[in-house]
Amino acid sequence: MILYDFEYERPASLQEAIALLSDGGDGAHVLAGGTDLLPNMRVEIVAPSTLVSLSGIEAQTPAELPDGSVRIDALSKLADLADSDLLKDKLPMVAESAHTVAGNQVREMGTLGGNLCQETRCLYFNQKHDYQFVEPCYKRGGDVCYPFPGNDRTTCWSVYMSDIAPVLISLGAELEILGPDGTRNIPVEDLFTGDGLEPMTLEPSEIIQAVIVPPLPERFGWGYHKTTVRGGLDFGTAIVVVGLHLAEDGETCSAVRIVYGAIGEAPLRPSETEQAMIGSKLDPAQIAADASKEVTPLPHHGFKKGYLRDNIKVNTERSLVKAIERAKG
Amino acid sequence: MDQIRNRLEVDGKKSRTRLLELKVNGETFDITAKPRVMLLEVIRDQVGLTGTKDGCESGTCGACTVLVDGKPTLACITLAVECDGKEIRTVEGLADGDKLNDLQEAFLDQGATQCGFCTPGMLMSATALLEKTPKPNKQEINKALEGNLCRCTGYNSIVDAVLQVSDQGVKAKMQ
Repeated sequence: MILYDFEYERPASLQEAIALLSDGGDGAHVLAGGTDLLPNMRVEIVAPSTLVSLSGIEAQTPAELPDGSVRIDALSKLADLADSDLLKDKLPMVAESAHTVAGNQVREMGTLGGNLCQETRCLYFNQKHDYQFVEPCYKRGGDVCYPFPGNDRTTCWSVYMSDIAPVLISLGAELEILGPDGTRNIPVEDLFTGDGLEPMTLEPSEIIQAVIVPPLPERFGWGYHKTTVRGGLDFGTAIVVVGLHLAEDGETCSAVRIVYGAIGEAPLRPSETEQAMIGSKLDPAQIAADASKEVTPLPHHGFKKGYLRDNIKVNTERSLVKAIERAKG
Repeated sequence: MDQIRNRLEVDGKKSRTRLLELKVNGETFDITAKPRVMLLEVIRDQVGLTGTKDGCESGTCGACTVLVDGKPTLACITLAVECDGKEIRTVEGLADGDKLNDLQEAFLDQGATQCGFCTPGMLMSATALLEKTPKPNKQEINKALEGNLCRCTGYNSIVDAVLQVSDQGVKAKMQ
C-alpha cells in the first residue's frame, strides 16, 4: 500500500488524459506501466495527488510510415518491442536495448514512454527516507547533497539510466509529444535538461505519444553494450551505443553518433570525437581513447570515475568494431 | 522528517473507494479498494490467497509475480484499480485440488525449492514462459526467470525443472 491517499483517473483517450493532467495542475501525474513511478511513490520521492492512468488506452503496434521511418507508440510494452518482428528486422538495436531492460515482469509491464521518462537514480536518493542516515538529500528537499559532499549544493548528481534513450539518440529519433496545445516534435536529446534536479523538459501536462525513427541509410552499422553487475535485472553501470554510417568505399565514415548512457544526468555524446571521425578512416582504439577522454562520467553506485572511463573506453572500441563489421555487411 | 510527512498530505480530500470485479483463478470476486491499494494486498488480504508472497515491495525480487491476462506481472507495484475486470492467476490456480500440476511436480523432482519463498513467483514466471514457448532452451529460461530472485541461490535446479517439464531430457533427481 502507498502510504498516502491519492485520486485515480482512467481516461479512454490521450486527449482526455491531457485535459485531466491540465486540470490537476502540479498534483497530477501520468501513470503508464508504473514500474518506476509506483516504487518511487512507495519510497516517497514523488507524491502526486492524482494519477492519470493510461491503461485504458490501447497501444498501436510499431508501424512503418510511407517515407520509410518507423513509428513506435510510446505506450508499447518493452516486451512487445523486444519481440516485434518489424523492429528486429528494421531496427534491431531498439529491440536489443528493450530486451536488456530489467527483468521479464518489468518488460511486460513497463512502456517505452515510461522508460524514457524514468526518474534519475543515486544510491542515497532512491530509498525510503527512514533508511537514510540523517536528513533528506538535496533533491528530496534537504539542503545538503550527502552522497557528494563536494557538490556545490545547487544541483543533484544523480544518473539517468534508461537503456533505450541512448539508442534512440544514436538513431536520430524524434519524439511526438502531445500537450494541451497539440503535438510538437522534438529530437530525443532535447528531452533532457542535463540537470539532476529536473531531468526532463516535459511539462507536467504533456505526454510522449510516439517515437519516430527516421529511415536508416545503407551501410549503417550499430554496436550496443550495457555493462551490468549481475548480468540481468540490473540498471546499467555504463551503456555504450554506436550508430555508424560508412561512405560508398566501405572504409570512410560519413556519419556517426556515439552515445553513453548511465554515466551522467542525461545521455552524453563525445561530439568533438564524432566530428573528427567524419571523412576519415576509422581506428577504433584511437577513437575509443579520445571519446572516453572527452566525456566526464559521473561516479554512481560505488563506481569511480576512473573505472567508468576505462569501461566506456573498452566498450566503445568493441562496439565500434562491431558497428564497422555490420556496416560492411 | 516532519517536512517529508507534511508534504505527503494531499489537499485534505479523501479518495473514492472503488468497487472492482476481479476474476482470480476462474472465480469472480467483488472487491472494494482505495486507489492506493496494491493488487498484492487485495489477493493476500481480501481474496485470502496467501501463496503470492510479499518480498521487496519495490518490484525487484519477483516473489509477488501473478499472471494478469496471461502476462507475468509484479503484484506489489500494480494498483488493484488497474486490474478491474481482468483475469488473474495465482500459484493456487496451478494445482487441481490436491493434485499438483506437471510443473510443480517437476520442481519437487528436481529439489527446486529450498526455503520456498521465491517458488510461487518462479512457478508463475515459468508458467507464462511455457505457455508462450513450449520448449524453451536454457538461455530463454534464464531470460524469462531473470526477474525472480532466489536468495537460497538454487537457480540451476529451477532451470532443470523447467527443462524436465518441457521434455528436454532432464531426469528427476528426487524420488
